[in-house]
Amino acid sequence: MKHALIIGSGISGMVCAVRCAQLGVHVTMVSPFPSERSQSVMAAGGINAVLSGEEAGDSVACHIEDTLKGGCELGGKNAVKGLCEHGGEILHWLESIGTVFSVDEKGRPLRRAFGGQSHKRTYYCGASTGKQIVSALVMEVRRFEAAGLIERRLWCCFHSALIRDGICYGAMLFDEAHGGLEAVCADALVIATGGQNALFGKTTGSTQCDGYAAGKLFMQGAELKNLEFIQYHPTTMETPQKRMLISEAVRGEGGRLFQRRDGQNVYFMEDKYGPGGNLMTRDIVSREIDALGGMVYLDISFLDRTVIDERLPEVRDICAKYGGIDVSREPIPVMPSVHFFMGGLAVGLKHETNIHNLFAVGECASMYHGANRIGGNSLLAAIYSGNVAADEIAGRSGCRFHPDFEGDLEREKKLLARNMDTQSQFPVMYIRDMLAETMQKRLGIVRSGENLEQGLADIDYYLSIAERIRYDSSVMPYFNYSLTAILTLARATITCALSRRESRGAHYRSDFPQTEEAYQSATIIAYDGGGYNVRFDREQSYES
Amino acid sequence: MKVNVLRQQSPVSKPYWETFEYDGSADNSVAGALDYINYHDDIVNAEGKRSTRIGWECSCMQGICGACAMVINGRPALACETFVRDFKGKDIEIRPLRKFPVIHDLVVDRTSIHENLKQANVCIGEYNPAENEEHAHQYAIGKCLKCGLCLEVCPNYVNGNTFFGAAFANDCYLVASRNRTEDKRIRRIYAEHFGKTCSKSLSCMEVCPMKIPTLASMAKLNRNKTRRYG
Repeated sequence: MKHALIIGSGISGMVCAVRCAQLGVHVTMVSPFPSERSQSVMAAGGINAVLSGEEAGDSVACHIEDTLKGGCELGGKNAVKGLCEHGGEILHWLESIGTVFSVDEKGRPLRRAFGGQSHKRTYYCGASTGKQIVSALVMEVRRFEAAGLIERRLWCCFHSALIRDGICYGAMLFDEAHGGLEAVCADALVIATGGQNALFGKTTGSTQCDGYAAGKLFMQGAELKNLEFIQYHPTTMETPQKRMLISEAVRGEGGRLFQRRDGQNVYFMEDKYGPGGNLMTRDIVSREIDALGGMVYLDISFLDRTVIDERLPEVRDICAKYGGIDVSREPIPVMPSVHFFMGGLAVGLKHETNIHNLFAVGECASMYHGANRIGGNSLLAAIYSGNVAADEIAGRSGCRFHPDFEGDLEREKKLLARNMDTQSQFPVMYIRDMLAETMQKRLGIVRSGENLEQGLADIDYYLSIAERIRYDSSVMPYFNYSLTAILTLARATITCALSRRESRGAHYRSDFPQTEEAYQSATIIAYDGGGYNVRFDREQSYES
Repeated sequence: MKVNVLRQQSPVSKPYWETFEYDGSADNSVAGALDYINYHDDIVNAEGKRSTRIGWECSCMQGICGACAMVINGRPALACETFVRDFKGKDIEIRPLRKFPVIHDLVVDRTSIHENLKQANVCIGEYNPAENEEHAHQYAIGKCLKCGLCLEVCPNYVNGNTFFGAAFANDCYLVASRNRTEDKRIRRIYAEHFGKTCSKSLSCMEVCPMKIPTLASMAKLNRNKTRRYG
């Protein structure tokens, strides 16, 4: 029986596991913590699909057009077509495994408007769509676990891929429970580890998503794509512990952005873009707020109380709990914050990277969203990509021969033991904090060449430290051995941002404010023994 | 203010109390305070001696992932939604959940929750719901964090060997309400691992961060078989 090793147990990882199991592939799914802790539970607003009974004038073609337009023509055209064409099928499947969608009095699923979309096509479960999908998927995975087709490995972290001559044969894992490295061979390795939050410290997302797998695979030869496109969500609420996401669903239900000037409420988005101004794409809204400076508010106090209670209860509760705000009486102070990474591991239509048998799905893969993701497409892409990769894995013949990785394993074990054999208290987490500060400062909503160059210099300094230090024994070994790859990923991200000498979607350069046709292709970056080689994919090599 | 933490370096080592000074914002949550102690500066305890970083589990930091469940001043709660200001300057005492094996400090192994559901095969399988589904109740159950707080506080739950607790009961209801053909089997395993032992203290409902109405699940699963859900 074929064997797939999946790293990550959020929505895309679980979907890939279920589909593999359905097709007779044995799955090992690796994550330090259970799926309930994954970032997927934080996806709030909804999932896009065009179903029968769609809004008048809507169609799959409109969904494709909105997605490509929202992504400023950088999304993979063939891939986006597949994504949108499968929306209806995915919605029905989610319902069939028990996802509790919000429905009207006749039991028909409800939909709401989302930013950058020409029609209302975002289906939802209150404001906890991701959580409801995770709950249903956990149950579905459990069915295949009981049948022996899926095995979960908890307390386990990715260390590196087992690669020989451009072919991936599995991964080296670090088992936190037993404190050891092991090599696990598989016919396919699937990376489903989410976005690169740790580069920016505290974001709207999970502290568990750090981009390590993408960084490490980059160092092992996998190409990365479109790293400079980082989505700042326009509406987050500052609290002492993190920036809390105030879902786009709030604006979808009618929420209005304003700023107070001379005692007046100025509805700046509506003034500039008309009645639909509040629902412009996230890159545009974030840039407008950034340009204004000063405090901006999101108001839903005028909405009927039942609309808030029935459709936005999670938003109501977050504002009350963490901000002391009663949204039915007062506006929510908001600011943009890092939210989603359009870039990641470069994959082709089947979600395979440039390394044979190495796949990437969900947010850690770059394919559909181009220069800016429209709301409601991330859940759809997480599910669709998991299915696509599983179909490809199941359709292939398994590896007949696995090279011997014993030597590699012993070498890594010795290195780890040597680095851990220390009383060093050098706080590896401080370097992560310094990196976050650098990235927030140098890779904000508006960038410049000078600023980015300074960011590169800062990261080179951190890298020079990381290469010299032994490990901090008071944190988990994972936090130590992951540091260099995370810094390398950060350096690659800034290198991509420097190379794109134009403004497009979420990447805005004050020194190159225009969108240039010459740059209408994906940024691909490859690592070569310390060199960071950027090219623009004009041949669309990842479009097949 | 002082923060007392019950620490344990490994699953087999002896637990011990250690006290730290917290001088951060009172508007921080206990999770934020732990983060602050760990990374604000060199970590020293209240006696001024160097210490190691406190192990604890977190992911969302906003009450929707269940990672940071622990016992705070005697009350099981999520650290990320328990606020320092609510203790009004009094000392804070934090210990790991007691019903689960400790891995490190405040990190515990809650895999028994999932293993019990797997062992009992609580899965929807074929979607075949009752005609009038109770969406609001299903939605509430779908929000279960599997954080273990309901088990921590339950007088009947010991170690999960026979009695599986509220998280199990609610998932049983979800399966039974969405697949009528599973109704009989689910009622049987519900009775075996929950119904016949639960003493109905309902402390599980009081402590649940998602406010899941477990009593409603129980009422529906205990109801006469001839009456269906909805």
